[in-house]
Amino acid sequence: MQDGRGTNQIRNGSEPVRQCYTPLPEFYYDYNSSTTGGAVMHGYQPDYMEILKLDEDERKKRLAFYELTDEDFKRLASLRPFADRWTHEITEGLYELLMGQPESRAFFPDEATLARVKRMQNSYFLGLFSGNYDINYVRDRLRVGAAHERIGMPPKLYLGAYRRYLALIHMRLLDHFKGNESEASNALSSIRKIIFFDMALAIDTYIAAYLETVTRHQAAIRELSTPVIKVHDRILLLPIVGTVDTARAHQIMETVLLQVVEQQAKVMILDIAGVPVVDTKVADHILKTTAAVQLLGSQTILTGISASVARTVVQLGVEITRMHTRSKLSEGIELALSIVGKKITSKSVRGGGEEF
Amino acid sequence: MAGGPIPILKIGPTLLATIQIDLHDTVVDAFQNDVLEEIERTSAKGLIIDISALETVDSYVARTLANTGKMAKLMGTNTVIVGMRPAVAATLVRMGYFMEGIDTALSLEEGLELQKIRTTVPDTE
Repeated sequence: MQDGRGTNQIRNGSEPVRQCYTPLPEFYYDYNSSTTGGAVMHGYQPDYMEILKLDEDERKKRLAFYELTDEDFKRLASLRPFADRWTHEITEGLYELLMGQPESRAFFPDEATLARVKRMQNSYFLGLFSGNYDINYVRDRLRVGAAHERIGMPPKLYLGAYRRYLALIHMRLLDHFKGNESEASNALSSIRKIIFFDMALAIDTYIAAYLETVTRHQAAIRELSTPVIKVHDRILLLPIVGTVDTARAHQIMETVLLQVVEQQAKVMILDIAGVPVVDTKVADHILKTTAAVQLLGSQTILTGISASVARTVVQLGVEITRMHTRSKLSEGIELALSIVGKKITSKSVRGGGEEF
Repeated sequence: MAGGPIPILKIGPTLLATIQIDLHDTVVDAFQNDVLEEIERTSAKGLIIDISALETVDSYVARTLANTGKMAKLMGTNTVIVGMRPAVAATLVRMGYFMEGIDTALSLEEGLELQKIRTTVPDTE
């Protein structure tokens, strides 16, 4: 029952898949749900067709590069009886390899899963001989790649399994075309082409998925990298931690300016104690940010300047005398308070609040 | 009051110009003329230019506004530009244009306050 539910969920989410290459049975999509909780858990499914820019034009280019011609398509279609006859044996042979190694065996934890993926494998195999390699075929192959990537199957196992796959097919072909070696080798050549075509799609999916993850992490880091803190009424603080490259400097400037206007801050304290290296570039970014803040009608205070930073900045000849600078953050806060007309004073210890 | 498209109002010793239309080159030139004539006519002590409605400011406009400020200074009038938008500030700075020597303020209210400070103690400088 659980499987059925998983299938429905995924089906609802991605309508076009229903029109994809037909031999795939219902349980195809359950591959995920049995091992990782499936698309229900993953919710977000990137459109690899879009990411990899796989349109009709690209499909044709790929087919051309793998030298897949109409002749190959016809030959593959004509091999359908061969495929029907041997699919079971070839699948068994493939899983013999996969189950023979602990690392790959781990992906098939129980009998039910194993039976399911074997059925999928059969339909995948038959798909190779459909003779129709249109855009839906490509979409389907991308889903195969995405499914493998999602369950964490490493490419080394994926490619290794293909190697065994080809060997098994070769063996059966020699049997099938007894004596007619040239026919067998032609058939194998065509099969190899379409298999490499498939593999390229799967590997592209792996890479795209990886890049996607990296991009998402970068976005998360960017968000975390500019935490503007309200120190006091109309005083903001931005502690800058880590390397400041151009992209980050732009982002810092944008955030600083937006926050200054939004919160109508009189003073923006930039604390660079956490910046490992302050070179001319970093100094330039800070100067520009300061200038922009001044244009808005506010001020910046640069704090966290260590002895070595002070030395470097002067030796580099960076002109930062125009800005307020302090060595310690606490001094910066005191200066900021004095700019907005406030002051930190000690409370009389003995009096216990008598002055109020 | 001058005849240009940007009204220049007098509030006490201060002139206030709120720019609410796109500044083309000709408009900003006319504005500069109007402002200087108003200063001459009214002997205003301060000038506030509110650009909070401007989404873009090109380098020519920025330079003209800054120059207007400098010219006003020569006539004894202090200029404060108020309400610059973050995107405008970022663009100007990236173009290397810092509008040095011009006072700025976050809002009109603060501009008026700053103007008060500047115009009440002019002799200390």
